[in-house]
Amino acid sequence: MSTFVESRFEELKRYVRLSPDDARLLTDFRALAAPHFERITQEFYERIREHEDAHAVFTGEAQIARLQRSLVRWMDRLLSGTYDEAYFEETANIGRVHVKVGLPQRYMFTAMALIRVALTRIADDEARERAPAIREALTRLIDLELAIMLESYRENIVSRLRRKDELENQALTRSLARSARYVNAVELARVVIVGVDSAGTIRLFNREAEHVSGFERDEVLGTPFAATLLPEEMLEAHGTRVADVAAGRTKTYEIADGLIRTRAHNVRNVHWHLAFAPGDGDDIVLFAMGKDTTDERRVMERARQHERLAAVGTLAAGLAHEIRNPLNGAQLHILFLERSLKRDKADPELLEAVDVVGDEIKRLARLVTEFLDFARPRPLQLTGVSMHELGKRVTQLLALEASQSNVTLVIDLPLQDIVVMGDRSKLEQVMLNVLQNAIEASKATNGAVTLRIRRKPRHVAIDVEDSGPGIGALDAPIYDAFYSTKPNGTGLGLSIVHRIVTDHHGSIDVESVPGRTCFRITLPIEAPEAQSGRMKAAEAAGRPTEES
Amino acid sequence: MVMDAPTPPRPLVLLVDDDVRTAQTLARMLREDGYDVDFAADGAAAIGRLTRDPMPDVLVTDMTMPLADGLAVTRYARSRRPNLPVFMITGNPVLVTRAPENITPAFVVLTKPLDYEIFLEQLRAL
Repeated sequence: MSTFVESRFEELKRYVRLSPDDARLLTDFRALAAPHFERITQEFYERIREHEDAHAVFTGEAQIARLQRSLVRWMDRLLSGTYDEAYFEETANIGRVHVKVGLPQRYMFTAMALIRVALTRIADDEARERAPAIREALTRLIDLELAIMLESYRENIVSRLRRKDELENQALTRSLARSARYVNAVELARVVIVGVDSAGTIRLFNREAEHVSGFERDEVLGTPFAATLLPEEMLEAHGTRVADVAAGRTKTYEIADGLIRTRAHNVRNVHWHLAFAPGDGDDIVLFAMGKDTTDERRVMERARQHERLAAVGTLAAGLAHEIRNPLNGAQLHILFLERSLKRDKADPELLEAVDVVGDEIKRLARLVTEFLDFARPRPLQLTGVSMHELGKRVTQLLALEASQSNVTLVIDLPLQDIVVMGDRSKLEQVMLNVLQNAIEASKATNGAVTLRIRRKPRHVAIDVEDSGPGIGALDAPIYDAFYSTKPNGTGLGLSIVHRIVTDHHGSIDVESVPGRTCFRITLPIEAPEAQSGRMKAAEAAGRPTEES
Repeated sequence: MVMDAPTPPRPLVLLVDDDVRTAQTLARMLREDGYDVDFAADGAAAIGRLTRDPMPDVLVTDMTMPLADGLAVTRYARSRRPNLPVFMITGNPVLVTRAPENITPAFVVLTKPLDYEIFLEQLRAL
């Protein structure tokens, strides 16, 4: 050993007896294992999607794809055979990243167990008599990795404790003027309260602020208020006014449609109220008080949507039934006319004209029936619906349409099937409608449409992504009946989708920028509550009933 | 087996519909296709006709009509002849399938606009 003082890495390495023989075995094993890396990675991330705490660390599909690539790299590196100082420094760095994103430690162990099992299984299946030795080498190396990554958590806790001590000491010196009662009130309030000093630094961060933002106070105290908690877009719109309040040029400022940045790099809606309130007991000059309106806004939006659809439904259903009476008369008379013309050996052109009218009447009848399906949906027929089967079926049905439009249709299914309690034919209709829109949108650019199905802890996420020009305005009433931007659209497609998805107690969201539009349909995997619950909800929302 | 009958008797259809013009065209086509047709222009007239003989072999009725609806006509007809075949024609089939009492044997529900060819097939299959 060249250095006299043994590093912690070397010490751990010696402790588990990771030898050069192990290194050679693992290098050889890499050739056998490498073809399985992609599969192991996919299985690994599908497992994570089933668990809420672990899943919460994810910010989106792009990030997951990135993480998957780095897991493949990690496995490749694990079997590289060179386990030197640099190797373990990198391991420590990976551990630090886990700390930074807030991955609970328990998931490192359980995740490592999954990978360990996958790799030892490959060794057992493919390495024959060398399998026991490879298993031992893997155990040594993987536990060593874990030990080093755990060090990062310890480092973090030590430094946070130290910081907490400092902050508490500072607070103690300032607290003489502050009454414990007020502190309690601030803590108990179901309102986000952030105190900011004249330098724009966070000095107070109450429990609700922790709850809404996901940050713990020792992570944010002492950091700049605007940079830590306010997203860019909000700073652009309101930054100068916020600074005005902090400087006392304005006494109060209200941001009804404000935002807060969260620890997981998301944003939530917050109704902010900023007040300039310097005191003599502490350094705080500005109180930012906010109410989390994220869920409220979502519920209100959905309720409004429901009302609109219900109103259209009642009116239209009445009309549609009335249309069937004159259609009945017209159809019978046209048939009568056709029979008479045929009997009299009439001019074929006359017969053809009669035929056309007959076809048009049939088309109208079909339109009425489809429309009634939308306006007055039949109750759901719940069965277990395989997402694999459904995904394959709809892409098959649309293969021709896609190729005629020069659009590449990509289907991206999870390795393990997901079975959702739902109405098979209605869910098929949902996927067909959304995919057809996507294909149409991508037609002009010879683009691609991806159907991606992924597991979430208690839900399935069905993403339909296209490369089209995007939805112009995201607040356009795209789910409203008869709203259409297409020259030949009926404006019913997305309304039907919306209706079916909400009947399944699911939700539909859309993100759109030019070149990438993604509709995400989220459905609960378990059966929605009993039918009666849904009926009540529908009545409460003023859904038309059959008598109307 | 009726070997001595030269021509089989034409089945009698009672057709009930308040849309008189359409019903008369339908009746005319049915006659061309081998049926005798009696016609009633509303539910009350239909019930009146059902009090007299001969009883029809088939009842074909509209659902929504003045004075008595298709269900009322059906109930009365079945009280006279329990197994009488019944065709109910309606623009709103849901209304019919949610009828309060169970009427047995069940009747056939046809959605408007009536597909005459299919209707004729069903009629001939009786």
